Amino acid sequence: MANLNIDSVKDRTFDAIVIGSGMSGGWAAKEFTDKGLKTLVLERGRDVKHIKDYPTTNLYPWEFPHHGVLPDDVQKANPIVNRCYAFGEDAAHFFVKDAEHPYVQEKPFDWIRGYQTGGKSLLWARQTQRWSDFDFEGPARDGFAVDWPIRYKDIAPWYSYVEKFAGISGNRDGIPELPDGEFLPAFPLNAVETYFSNHVKKTYKNRHVISARCAHLSKPNQIHLDQGRAQCQERTLCQRGCPFGGYFSANSSTIPWALKSGHCTLRPHSVVESIIYDEKKGKAAGVRVIDANTKEAIEYYADVIFVNAAALNSNLILLNSTSNRFPNGLGNDSGTLGKYVAFHNYSAHINAEYDGAKEWTTDGRNPAGGGYIPRFRNVYKQETDFLRGYACGFSAYRWQQNSSEGIGQTLKDNLVKKDLSGWHVGSHMMGETIPKETNYVTLDKSLKDPWGIPQLRISVDYDDNDEKMKKDYVEQMTEMFTSAGFTNIQASTDHRAPGLDIHEMGGVRMGNDPKTSMLDKWHRLHACKNVYVTDGASMTSTSCQNPSLTYMAFTARAVDHAVSEMKKGNV
Amino acid sequence: MDNKINRRIAIRNMALILGSAAILPSCLNDKGKPTVQLKHLKLNADQETLVTELTETILPKTATPGAKDLGLHLFVFKMIDDCYDKEHQDDFIAGLDDFESAVKKQHGQPFSKCSVKDRTAFVSGIEQHSNDKNYKDNAKLTAFYRMVKEQTVFGYTTSKYFMTKQIVYELVPGRYNAYYPVKKLAAV
Ligand SMILES: Cc1cc2nc3c(=O)[nH]c(=O)nc-3n(C[C@H](O)[C@H](O)[C@H](O)COP(=O)(O)OP(=O)(O)OC[C@H]3O[C@@H](n4cnc5c(N)ncnc54)[C@H](O)[C@@H]3O)c2cc1C
Ligand code: SF4
Repeated sequence: MANLNIDSVKDRTFDAIVIGSGMSGGWAAKEFTDKGLKTLVLERGRDVKHIKDYPTTNLYPWEFPHHGVLPDDVQKANPIVNRCYAFGEDAAHFFVKDAEHPYVQEKPFDWIRGYQTGGKSLLWARQTQRWSDFDFEGPARDGFAVDWPIRYKDIAPWYSYVEKFAGISGNRDGIPELPDGEFLPAFPLNAVETYFSNHVKKTYKNRHVISARCAHLSKPNQIHLDQGRAQCQERTLCQRGCPFGGYFSANSSTIPWALKSGHCTLRPHSVVESIIYDEKKGKAAGVRVIDANTKEAIEYYADVIFVNAAALNSNLILLNSTSNRFPNGLGNDSGTLGKYVAFHNYSAHINAEYDGAKEWTTDGRNPAGGGYIPRFRNVYKQETDFLRGYACGFSAYRWQQNSSEGIGQTLKDNLVKKDLSGWHVGSHMMGETIPKETNYVTLDKSLKDPWGIPQLRISVDYDDNDEKMKKDYVEQMTEMFTSAGFTNIQASTDHRAPGLDIHEMGGVRMGNDPKTSMLDKWHRLHACKNVYVTDGASMTSTSCQNPSLTYMAFTARAVDHAVSEMKKGNV
Repeated sequence: MDNKINRRIAIRNMALILGSAAILPSCLNDKGKPTVQLKHLKLNADQETLVTELTETILPKTATPGAKDLGLHLFVFKMIDDCYDKEHQDDFIAGLDDFESAVKKQHGQPFSKCSVKDRTAFVSGIEQHSNDKNYKDNAKLTAFYRMVKEQTVFGYTTSKYFMTKQIVYELVPGRYNAYYPVKKLAAV
């Protein structure tokens, strides 16, 4: 960085830098700016402004060139992201295209990404459940990974804090393994979902079918209106971006909130290449950015740096931040950086039919998607030959079926004829996977991305535990469906690559012991105390709950800690 | 109360968004040259006319609009051209030619010159075979027919006409009734 005058350095100096503007980075931005800190948010992708940059949000099906179907050349050019269910003509512009951001698959791994302001928070399915001590104590009890340095009581107030602002709908179900939160009214279960819920409650001890908890404003509070958001209108077109701000996204909530404070600078098209370590001061001085358009390198400085680039990119940045002090990546004294990556296993499904409740159907659309079955295996004691467990989605639906038989007037008549189908029920598994040293990411020695940054090599796979768990899901659900009187039960498993669940985690794990972990209980690098990692990279283990709510709570808590450390002059 | 205010905010927000028009190739002329701009499919004017008349035979103008009125023939071309892979496009062309040969054999003239009655009779015959899993004769012809029919039906059931006049599609339902009596459904 030659020839830069003092003023320029001053212009590039902030109190805090946040890397990434997605689900977790948005929270870091909001919290820092709420506390009055001059904050720079660096985002590698383009800026996406709430409503203004949702080009498809109000399109009717016939207004899409292919009425929703993606052209074959787009599908063929994107075999990885094309496997994601939400990659359609309405939302493709919010997904990373395969060729634009290359990585190396040492083993098959579907890395699904959204590089723009808001990251993947625009695209998510909005399922939000808290973790419990069964999850935080899991590793210590079951002997995998390392002990979490925190417990439920440490994070519970922060769950409440983010839930109130984000807006989470749900029922207070009183289930110890799935703690209740600060809920807006739940989206109700329909006739068959309720029937199954009651059946399961009667038939099984400690199994529950509840309304899915989700980040939708079923009935907004003042704090949501203050964000410019409005009640969810049950469109279920959320992945296009919601003009009502009906669901939580960084774009509709945390980022505009941070910008409104006047303390936030959002810099899109800024690919963070590495974090700069100041050997003399023994801490990080700032970050080096490659401007995505000009390819120019620029440095920014701050007292504290939050890494929120989404799990694997946060690994990449730390691995690429080398210095004399940290030749193997920033803070990597333990040698664990990039290791113990884990994910969720979504590779089993079950479908069936139900002959009852014929007098009921549904009207409108359910943004929550239906029901949720919290983990019921190995909760209170180890009862199977695999570790941990799985949660399950559950939903029941009927539809207006027409027939496309015939031609001419017959066909026209058939197409408007609406026979209501019987009830169909479906479920998918959401399994916890075990973090292992052999599941890792590293930097490729020679391949670079278009910005001159080493490509990430991903080597992550399933193991026996996953196979056994998958088998158990199929057996248990088949049994539960059978006993509920569901018919034509069809269970299926697939061989999808890891990653497609879009819940990749780990690599920069938390732990009490700096010899076996990267982060302390405040999400701070043990060895570089002004750098925090609060996204999925920090996860010591994965539980089976959807993870994003936990990233949000972690982030808010960590900012609170960072600011109090700064005030004490410790940073 | 909340609900109303929220809707108002939302509608104001929505007004900020620009609409977007359907992107479809402009109309066909009938001068003998192919008129649709296709990227992959190579169709001559006769083939183009055949497919157009086929869509109209599948969904003819009756008391309600037909395929041509709704531009469904253009939609079919666009879909086959953009959303099918090379292999299926090749099958489409081969099946199209088989279709024309079969028409000529049976009626002594091209499909587009046949009377509406003959066209309908011919297509009804194929329609029957196309649903018969054991029917193996001229698989390409049937495959071609299925592609055209599938996209005609898809285009029709997702057309503005169908989704506003035949059924009512709601972009914004504004409700989720988890328990809705089937009786009420029948009453609408
Ligand atoms: C279709 C789909 C469904 C999902 N469903 C759910 C669900 O129901 N529940 C749930 O909990 N989770 C769900 N998820 C996952 C959820 O979206 C992620 O867990 C969450 O977005 C992760 O937050 P994050 O902040 O770590 O990353 P992101 O939200 O992805 O944000 C990371 C940001 O960092 C930026 N960035 C990356 N690298 C750099 C760099 N080098 N320099 C600068 N910026 C960088 C990215 O461009 C991005 O904007 C789903 C995801 C998808 C795609
Ligand atoms: S379901 Fe709610 S959040 Fe989703 S698009 Fe509709 S109004 Fe918006």
